[in-house]
Amino acid sequence: MEQNQRTDYILCECPLDNLTRFVNDLSDRYQPSLLKAPRLCLTMIQAEDSVEYQPFYLGEALTTTCEVAINGKVGYGICLGDEPERAYCLAVMDAVMALNDAQAPAIDAFLVEQERLIQRRDEDEFSHIMQTKVDFKLMEQS
Amino acid sequence: MLIGQRNTTNYKPLTTNYTTPYKPPTTNRKPKTTMGYVAVKGGTEAIANSIDLVEFYRIKDETPPIHIKQLQAQFRLAIDKIMGEGSFYAPEYGALALKQVEGDVFEAAFIMRAFRATLPRMYYSAVIDTRNMFVQRRISSSFRDIPGGQVLGPTYDYTQRIIDTRLADESYEQVQAFLEQFKARISETDRKAVTTFGKVIDMLRAQGLLKGVGNRDDESEEGRRLVDITREAIKFPAPRSARLQMLARAETGGIMALGYSSMRGYGGVHPTVGELRVGLVEVNVADPSGRSRYIGRIRVTEAEMITKAKTGKKSERSAGSVPYYAIGYGLCFGQNETKAICMGILDRAMRNGTKDAPANDQEFVLYHTDGIEAMGFTNHLKLPHYVTFQSGLNNVRRAVAKSKKKTEAKPTSPTSTPANGASGPSAGDAERMPTEVLTEL
Repeated sequence: MEQNQRTDYILCECPLDNLTRFVNDLSDRYQPSLLKAPRLCLTMIQAEDSVEYQPFYLGEALTTTCEVAINGKVGYGICLGDEPERAYCLAVMDAVMALNDAQAPAIDAFLVEQERLIQRRDEDEFSHIMQTKVDFKLMEQS
Repeated sequence: MLIGQRNTTNYKPLTTNYTTPYKPPTTNRKPKTTMGYVAVKGGTEAIANSIDLVEFYRIKDETPPIHIKQLQAQFRLAIDKIMGEGSFYAPEYGALALKQVEGDVFEAAFIMRAFRATLPRMYYSAVIDTRNMFVQRRISSSFRDIPGGQVLGPTYDYTQRIIDTRLADESYEQVQAFLEQFKARISETDRKAVTTFGKVIDMLRAQGLLKGVGNRDDESEEGRRLVDITREAIKFPAPRSARLQMLARAETGGIMALGYSSMRGYGGVHPTVGELRVGLVEVNVADPSGRSRYIGRIRVTEAEMITKAKTGKKSERSAGSVPYYAIGYGLCFGQNETKAICMGILDRAMRNGTKDAPANDQEFVLYHTDGIEAMGFTNHLKLPHYVTFQSGLNNVRRAVAKSKKKTEAKPTSPTSTPANGASGPSAGDAERMPTEVLTEL
């Protein structure tokens, strides 16, 4: 996963409250201007079969998109679902990161902390799932 | 609402807005026996009241309103079905649609597809990668030992289909108690890092035992073209991409019926589940600056249905021709295993190259399994057909009257009573009956 995709992954998956709190602080500092308010749209999901790799369209997914600008840098926020706050936060984060501001407050630390939370959440779920893994025994072993 | 009305001699035009001037029948002319019909407006108030009444029926018992989050969490599988058939992945709106129509999955899918049509499509995703799925369930009925093992995941497959009366009095405290006990099963040392799973079909392919179906139409340039059936009218034979897209949004019961027919012998695809997996896949799109962006995960069900590919009759096979396996591919939104399996069966069946069974016939399968279209057409029968029906009724009445005249002209047969003395309708009754019934109509 590329760096910007890792960032998006964290920001899309982390708890919304944590994200809005962090971005509110950033907004106070950078004063983003809203270019396109969060709005609903569609993403057509592309898939392919797993042997012949025939691409096809699986269906559309509800998406929220938003655009902001900070000091001339445009930030794009896109996420699945009806998530106007998250889309706005994603756009602000995208613009702030495009500034490459060395003074940007603790973005890396925030990302690392949220990634840890997401990882823990996923590991919890996955561990429960793996408890349903079948342990085959031959009949005479039972 | 348009209501057809018989044109009688007392007919008066309802509006004067005619393209050709209305000519009232002349008084010295005998009224025509063939009727003309007009469309009239009406029923607006009745419709408004009907809408209020159905809303009243939804809430008349004054039970606490169901919260969307409750539906989303506790009716997961119904919402998955709605999203799949509505061709619109939006769990929160699926829950809302389900609530709006009192749990009618057809109606909810219809509403979802209609809502979807109001939104602009701004992004196309990169191809989703089911090999990197966050697996919640994966099984194979082809092999016992598969890479990563058989993971049963969340399923009702292994539950007894016995009604659980305990749920009638389920309390919030019970929910909390279960969750606490369930979560406690994972200790820090038990926690497992998330991994992905190799595919069963990749093992077979690596051994050279699994290949593409080898259907000539599907391998042509047109056959491999990526078609979007929401933007391009479908023509038959349809490219495989169009077929897969249509199956992915087909109605579960519809494709199950046809998939089942094929397994029972009407088409002869009786596959084995190579692998069935359910889980979350990442969705990535290019943003307006062209960068690839992660935008979230969606739950999908994928079925790879293994079948033997036909290699022709022994006499027709080339020297190097050996049997092999191919798959039928199923993929749909949400956890809907029946649908994914049947999609795989029908994908394979439609590539048989014959139309000797309904499941093999693209047009038959694809035109009859779209739930929204099928339901729309079925339910249009409830709309007023007064004009067409009255027209048919006139013809039947005339035919009956003509037949009656002929019968009355003939001398009555003394042997018309049944020989066995049964008190069934007489020939005369049989002729009269329809007239009476039709008069009531």
